Amino acid sequence: MAQGIPQPIGAPAGERRASGDLGNRVLRLASRNARLIAPLTTLIALFVFFSLVTDVFLSTRNFQNIVSQIGPVAVAACGITFVLLCAEIDLSIASVATFTGVLSAYIFGNSWEMFGITLNLGVWGVLVAAIVAAGIGLLNGFFVAYVGIPSFMMTLAMLTIAAGMAEYVTKGRILPAASVPGELQDLASAGNRFLGIPYIGIVALAVLIVSDVVLSYTKFGRYVYMTGGNREAAEMSGVNTRRVVMLSLMVAGFTAGLAGMLFTGRLHNANPAGGTELLIQTIAAVVLGGTSLFGGEGGIKNTFIGLLIFGILSNGLNLIEGLSIHFKDALEGIILVGALLLNVLALRLERVQTRAD
Amino acid sequence: MDEPIVLVGRTTPNPGPQTPDPGAAEPLLTLTGVSKRFGGALALDDVGFDLLPGEIHGLIGENGAGKSTLMKILSGVHSPDEGEIALRGETVRFGSPAEAKARGIGMIYQELSVMPTLTVAENVYLGRQPTNRAGLVDWKRMRQRSAAALRELGITIDVTERLGKLSLGQQQLVEIGRVVFSGADVIVLDEPTSALSGPEAERLFAVIRGLRARGKSLIFISHFLEDVLAVADRVTVLKNARHVATMPSQGVTKHRLIELMIGRDATSLAEASEGGTTLPPPVNSAPVLELTGLSLTGQFADVGLTVRAGEIVGVFGFLGAGMTEVARTLFGCLRPLTGTMRLNGRVIRPASPMAATRLGIAYLTENRRATLFPRHEVYKNITLAHLNRLVGPVFRHPSEIAVAGSLVNRTGVRPANPTMRAGHLSGGNQQKVVLAKWLTRQPKLLILNEPTRGMDVGAKREVLDLIKELRAEGVAILLLSTEPETVIAESDRILVMSKGRITKEFANERVSKDQLMEFA
Repeated sequence: MAQGIPQPIGAPAGERRASGDLGNRVLRLASRNARLIAPLTTLIALFVFFSLVTDVFLSTRNFQNIVSQIGPVAVAACGITFVLLCAEIDLSIASVATFTGVLSAYIFGNSWEMFGITLNLGVWGVLVAAIVAAGIGLLNGFFVAYVGIPSFMMTLAMLTIAAGMAEYVTKGRILPAASVPGELQDLASAGNRFLGIPYIGIVALAVLIVSDVVLSYTKFGRYVYMTGGNREAAEMSGVNTRRVVMLSLMVAGFTAGLAGMLFTGRLHNANPAGGTELLIQTIAAVVLGGTSLFGGEGGIKNTFIGLLIFGILSNGLNLIEGLSIHFKDALEGIILVGALLLNVLALRLERVQTRAD
Repeated sequence: MDEPIVLVGRTTPNPGPQTPDPGAAEPLLTLTGVSKRFGGALALDDVGFDLLPGEIHGLIGENGAGKSTLMKILSGVHSPDEGEIALRGETVRFGSPAEAKARGIGMIYQELSVMPTLTVAENVYLGRQPTNRAGLVDWKRMRQRSAAALRELGITIDVTERLGKLSLGQQQLVEIGRVVFSGADVIVLDEPTSALSGPEAERLFAVIRGLRARGKSLIFISHFLEDVLAVADRVTVLKNARHVATMPSQGVTKHRLIELMIGRDATSLAEASEGGTTLPPPVNSAPVLELTGLSLTGQFADVGLTVRAGEIVGVFGFLGAGMTEVARTLFGCLRPLTGTMRLNGRVIRPASPMAATRLGIAYLTENRRATLFPRHEVYKNITLAHLNRLVGPVFRHPSEIAVAGSLVNRTGVRPANPTMRAGHLSGGNQQKVVLAKWLTRQPKLLILNEPTRGMDVGAKREVLDLIKELRAEGVAILLLSTEPETVIAESDRILVMSKGRITKEFANERVSKDQLMEFA
């Protein structure tokens, strides 16, 4: 590919040609990694900007803050990455997260009489809640992949169902700190750190790493990419694309559940009406990182960068003195549009380079 | 060089009541000296063609003879490099399909350009719905007028029905109705009968004869020579981008048309197949694939065939003959209604491509878009089908790339770089990648659907050599193609399929292109 590019006759030799080659090589490298380059640029730009403009941004304390803010979103974003990679969507994650959080607290705070035995699951209710979350995702996946309901509609319906279930379990009340498992509160508290990193950040990092390993180094991960890249071709290559889609939605349900429980831990209560912004935040972070909404391209590395962009942006805007709090949301949105624009331009560069190849 | 045989219709007056009198009428449309070049290749070389008012003019020729280029020039998709087009005696130049359409040239393509989710009436009025005084769509008028328009053409279809619910033949009639209704005087039908059943084709013929009676002129492009002879007044034959002959269809035999289409000149590229080839003596190895009485309503009927280990069975047929459907049935995409499929003596009923892959069946589809992942690396394309066996549940990329690399070398993909994106390769090399995918594990049965279509000569040779290599290794190969040359050159036995049925088997005998086409 690289060989055989004819140099134009009479092209200036020496220095200028060498710099042209270098420029070419940089362009080529950039175009091959277009999906990472643009988000990275955004990230660095925001980082530099907030470091210069505010005094507090560049401090350990503030980074710990960012990490604990972004932790639950990061966990849910892993599942969404799976789903977007196979060219589907999951709109139900926020209410699945809420329901799961509420459920873990509910199980923690109640006991049941069964066959004469008093059953108190205590903190193990977390495990039950996680299984329920995965089950909801599996249900989404079954209806999408095997019944044929578009994921947009199916997960929209599940959004309502899960939100309703959260209301039902709590009878609409906020469950107080006493019914949230202490372990969850400890885990999610920004003050609890290991080597300076909040526990919640370590949990998020672990989930990100496991997801990356699954997506990059396992058969299932490859199937996710190929199913999203060209579903018909994947099917015609003997891939069980339905199972791949179903399991991806299950992963999304599971990670949404984990995120929900971390949320309740951080807030020290379980609010059936809370957590609705998780959906937008998660999808925004994943797409900002460069993962395609149309499947097949992107990955956890992109999601990681997207999360940092998102975290730094909402944190940094809060730190700017004199910025009206009422204008902050609008400004955040405007900057997000700018970042997305950069992504689109980078991909166009890639396409131009492709043609040149 | 042979003398081109030119029989001009004008010299043989035909006083039949339905057929026009060519001596008296001025041609509606005349093409003179039209040439068109794509890159280095001549797609049309000094071609002349004329169409009389109230005439059905058949246009035939092999794949690549120049039929579609001629039609694209006529419909304004391409403009000719040389030569001119005259419409009603006036020289015209179509800059775009819209201009050609405005001048009354209507195209009906093989892949219909109808809207399946809209009603028949909406399709007839597509793009020009009538409105009432309030500026809203006048549904009542639209229904009445479209029904009347179709009735006039002898088409009786409920205009409130959604088009997608109608049969392909009915959809085609609606399309014809739309084109006529939009004011076309010249109607070009591209392979209109390839997907139609016998009675549907008859109804189509009735409609287009009706159009002729109303003074419309039709160009009927088809591979099905019987259909051309049944309906056309005159026939024009193209071969290798040149005009060969134009003659009245009366008294012409199918055999004569085939002779004109494939010619006898020794300078032709596909010399061997034209002269015919002697098929080798039958292979006596164990049968790998046995089909008996395989049928699927509307697709194919009573298909029976055997492919033995180390044997290439070629199946020739035109588009719509049902070959692809048989292949898809074998690969688990379609379920047969009746009949049995056996693989190595065991009855199989693959329920999905996955199941078929597990059984050791590999299928190279005719449509590369359905098998390639253009935005993913070559090695990911190659290892997908048998990922498990190649690299285990958790894998390392270097070993995966190494496996793919050896297959890249074996299939001759160029550039031989397994980490390149597959979409950056040329079409022929993409096809090699798709083939390589099925060689990561030796298949028992390899189904090849148009394996070399659109490839240059060199790449074609490489792929065909590879196929022969696989045969030597004992793979049973089913080769489906609409190109008679490919089938003749590569097969141990040849079957011909036509309209869903196997019409002829050639084994251990001499076979030539015209024989194949005779049965297709």
